[in-house]
Amino acid sequence: MYPFDVKIPTDLAAARKAFEDADDGLFLAGGQTLIPVMKQRLAMPGTVIALERISDLAGIKAGGSEITIGAMTRHAAVAADPDIAKAIPALAKLAGGIGDPQVRNRGTIGGSLANNDPAADYPAAALGLGATIITDKREIAVDQFFKGMFETALDAGEIITAVRFPMPECAAYVKLQHPATRFAMVGVMVAKVGSTVRVAVTGAAPSVFRATEMEAALTLKFEPNALDGITIAADGLNNDIHASREYRAHLIGVLARRAAQEAIS
Amino acid sequence: MSKISEKNLIGESVRRREDFRFLTGRGRYIDDIKLDGMAHAAMLRSPHAHADITKIDASAASEIEGVLCVFTGAEWKAAGYGTIPTKSAVRKFKDGSDLKEPPHHAIAIDRVRHVGEIVAVVVAETRDIAKEALDAIEVYYAPLPAVTGLKQAAAEGAPQVWDLAPGNVCLDFGLGNEEAQKKAFAEADHIVTLDLVNNRVTAVPIEPRGAVAGYDAASENFTLWNSSQNIHANRDTIAEAALKIDKSKLHHLAPDVGGGFGAKNGVYPEPILICHAARLIGRPVKWINDRAESFLSDTHGRDQVSTVQLALDKDGQFRGLRTETLGNLGAYCGTVGPFTPTGGSSRTQGGPYKFDAIYYTAKAIFTNTAPLDPYRGAGRPEASYQIDRIIDYAADVLGFDADELRRKNLVPKAMLPMKTPMGLDVDCGDFPEVYKRTMAMTDRAGYAKRKADSEARGMKRGFGVCAYLECTGGGPKEHAVVNFRDDGKVGLAVGSHSTGMGHETAFSQLLAGHLWLAIDDVVFTQGDTDATPLGGGHGGSRGMEVGGSAVLQTSRAVVAKGKEIAAHLFETTSDKIEFEDGSFFEPGTNHTMTIRDVIDASNDPDKLPDGVQPGCLNIGTTFERGIISIPNGSHAAEVEVDPETGVVKATHYWVVDDFGTIINPLLADGQVMGGVAQGIGQALLEEIVYDETGQLLTGSLMDYAMPRADDIPPMHVGYFEDAPTAKNLLGVKGAGEAGCVGAPPAIVNAVCDALKGYGVKHIDMPLTPEKVWRAIRAAQA
Repeated sequence: MYPFDVKIPTDLAAARKAFEDADDGLFLAGGQTLIPVMKQRLAMPGTVIALERISDLAGIKAGGSEITIGAMTRHAAVAADPDIAKAIPALAKLAGGIGDPQVRNRGTIGGSLANNDPAADYPAAALGLGATIITDKREIAVDQFFKGMFETALDAGEIITAVRFPMPECAAYVKLQHPATRFAMVGVMVAKVGSTVRVAVTGAAPSVFRATEMEAALTLKFEPNALDGITIAADGLNNDIHASREYRAHLIGVLARRAAQEAIS
Repeated sequence: MSKISEKNLIGESVRRREDFRFLTGRGRYIDDIKLDGMAHAAMLRSPHAHADITKIDASAASEIEGVLCVFTGAEWKAAGYGTIPTKSAVRKFKDGSDLKEPPHHAIAIDRVRHVGEIVAVVVAETRDIAKEALDAIEVYYAPLPAVTGLKQAAAEGAPQVWDLAPGNVCLDFGLGNEEAQKKAFAEADHIVTLDLVNNRVTAVPIEPRGAVAGYDAASENFTLWNSSQNIHANRDTIAEAALKIDKSKLHHLAPDVGGGFGAKNGVYPEPILICHAARLIGRPVKWINDRAESFLSDTHGRDQVSTVQLALDKDGQFRGLRTETLGNLGAYCGTVGPFTPTGGSSRTQGGPYKFDAIYYTAKAIFTNTAPLDPYRGAGRPEASYQIDRIIDYAADVLGFDADELRRKNLVPKAMLPMKTPMGLDVDCGDFPEVYKRTMAMTDRAGYAKRKADSEARGMKRGFGVCAYLECTGGGPKEHAVVNFRDDGKVGLAVGSHSTGMGHETAFSQLLAGHLWLAIDDVVFTQGDTDATPLGGGHGGSRGMEVGGSAVLQTSRAVVAKGKEIAAHLFETTSDKIEFEDGSFFEPGTNHTMTIRDVIDASNDPDKLPDGVQPGCLNIGTTFERGIISIPNGSHAAEVEVDPETGVVKATHYWVVDDFGTIINPLLADGQVMGGVAQGIGQALLEEIVYDETGQLLTGSLMDYAMPRADDIPPMHVGYFEDAPTAKNLLGVKGAGEAGCVGAPPAIVNAVCDALKGYGVKHIDMPLTPEKVWRAIRAAQA
């Protein structure tokens, strides 16, 4: 690790100021990506600004047809929350399947979305459920949020404060774990929100994406066999020693069918 | 002294004495050692697989505040240090010519031959400063063509790793009667051929390699704490071959060692380099490998490709076996590297099955990759995989039942003792009985229902078996010394070495049991070249076989000496004295003394016979093994395969092992289960992958897939103890490696069984989801 300064603000204004004052400032949410890359000397922030003491960023609020999750909410808290378990069980299950207990006790939903790892689970939840990303400046519809590998619509210094999920009629997330990292080699979230069907795919491409042909088919008939005959093009998908792009394309089909089945059962 | 005493704790599952220390963070590993004035070394490693070093500019690094010294191959060469020799037991080509051994300097001189090879060393006040200084060293490389794959390296026109090894061949080896093998093949009804890959793996010990070196200018003595499995032999090599000093000038210690699995058997460059650094700066120097550096610089294991041929009659009787192997050595010979694919993989060819003739031939091949050295089993898992995989394959393609083929061909008990076609001395055992007991554990009756349940969920279930035969190895000698201390404790030092497997418990258990002392009174020492005059380290499943025998032999010597003392005090002769239940007594009299009384007397000149010195019970003896032992057993696995995704899940596992006498079943279970987990890791998950240019693609735990607890099924472990061996004092046969000898073939056989309906005949390890999915698609195309 290279030397760095630490700031631990207790409100958003102080966090913003710390960022403005810093040379190469980085926000620390759960630290499940940032700390390892700093240890490997792949990141060298001048100042690390820890967000964990900002009370505005915590908490889960269920109300009406929405659930709002504070950005610093740990995965384990989402997995164990009774309101989420009732309203969006697929989201509770997804959160409970991230990493291992240590990761779930430290990692946060805001950190995961801001990082936008191509194989992370939460981007699939946000995109698949049609969430809204709330920041200290604005609200961003999820379809405008993910911009590419490790890239989002967030401006420099912009802080996610919460994520608002609509309550779906039904949803399910199914993933195949990467054998080494246990991230998603491919993960598919299928959700029906009102009359809209959304299918979000993580792990397969440089960034999470929607499988629109599958969405159209499931909108007509929300059953696994509605997906029969739909193939995903392998072009542009991730290709590495663990899974070729052809295999990933195949997995999207298999996992989407399984997710659709789980969503209706 | 014909039998070991009854209360002797043999066969007792004594809880591990060392675990409290380990589990509460009180173990003493290399990074726990902190000495006054200690500096920190970091290694600059080559990013090229093959390149000439045209220039190194370390001036900027040297000027960084806190940097104490920087040195490169040029300084190393000028200082006149020696190279690291290989100790391979096989040293001759088939034609009698010598093994091709390139010079292995601790640091690259003028040319690098694998990614991760050390090109410069920085010593600084802190580790961070040393790492920072590495970034400031400028190395100019002229890249050369590299070769990483075995078949590519052995092909004509391949880039040459060493000029002295044409065709990249280090060694060309043959064992067995080729003429008899050819005759058996000619007479057989069927010859089945199978190409097999034994995937390249690495040990990933939880404690990375590391060392601390100190130098005392007054005595010119070095002290080296090293995360090593083999401190005596490695002391000799480091001192005499590399540092060119007398071995008495190097005190070599390994405190608690957090896993080795073979990867810490050999002599590595870094400890040698920091000995030099410590002398240069006159301060102790510590070096600890990062995890990423470990993947680049720990010796790897396996990496063999083989063509296996099985000849059998139309009734399924095996006649002959022929295996042709290429084994990867990496860029250097390693400490015993060339032995593994040659001698190490030859001896157990054919497993516990009966053959007219077997011939094994192998070439050890240099490539531009990290050196290979022993990895748990070192050749025996490869041989076991070859025979037990081709049995299932032959059964499948020829229409035999694999279970019938095994039962028909296992060497019957009546044939023992025997010498195998590969020259192994199999003194005792009962392979068919062990196989039968394993199969009896496997709940075959419930299999049909489990298979149907799997089918109902769209899954495929399979069952696989391996009947293995292996052999022990490693140094033949071991020393155990006891020291009865005046605080009432008994010191026990053994030259063998635990890297976590529980010697502190098992050896203490043997001594305490034999002498009827409390195990808590035994103070155990290992890993110190000053504590025992010799030691064979850890490797070849030799700990209990050789080390345990040394402890028993020393215990017996203590009892014999105790009898002399008791006889003197009873005014009789020692042949009249017996030792039972912790007491020395003369039957038919009321003469009796406890062992504690005798220990006290042994320190009291007034109570000792003339010419016997106080402290006479402080005895050390060396046990030397004659012939290696033959552990054997049978593994069975059940797996479930998801044919849509290719994901394999091992669901059940059963093993019966013949390890001879079991000293501590708890420890034996740990060895078996850990070994099986390691074997499952190799079969399903683990693989070191280099690209064609020699870059390591699996350089972290984000790409190298280690097994987790949920990859490992519940295991049912049993022991066949009816055939203790007479080759050592305890009747033990060695338990350390067997688990990963039997697991890969059992798992792969089970997966191939599950996929039989698709026409899948074979899949090379590791059986990753994509490989399984592709195999199903290819078979159906």
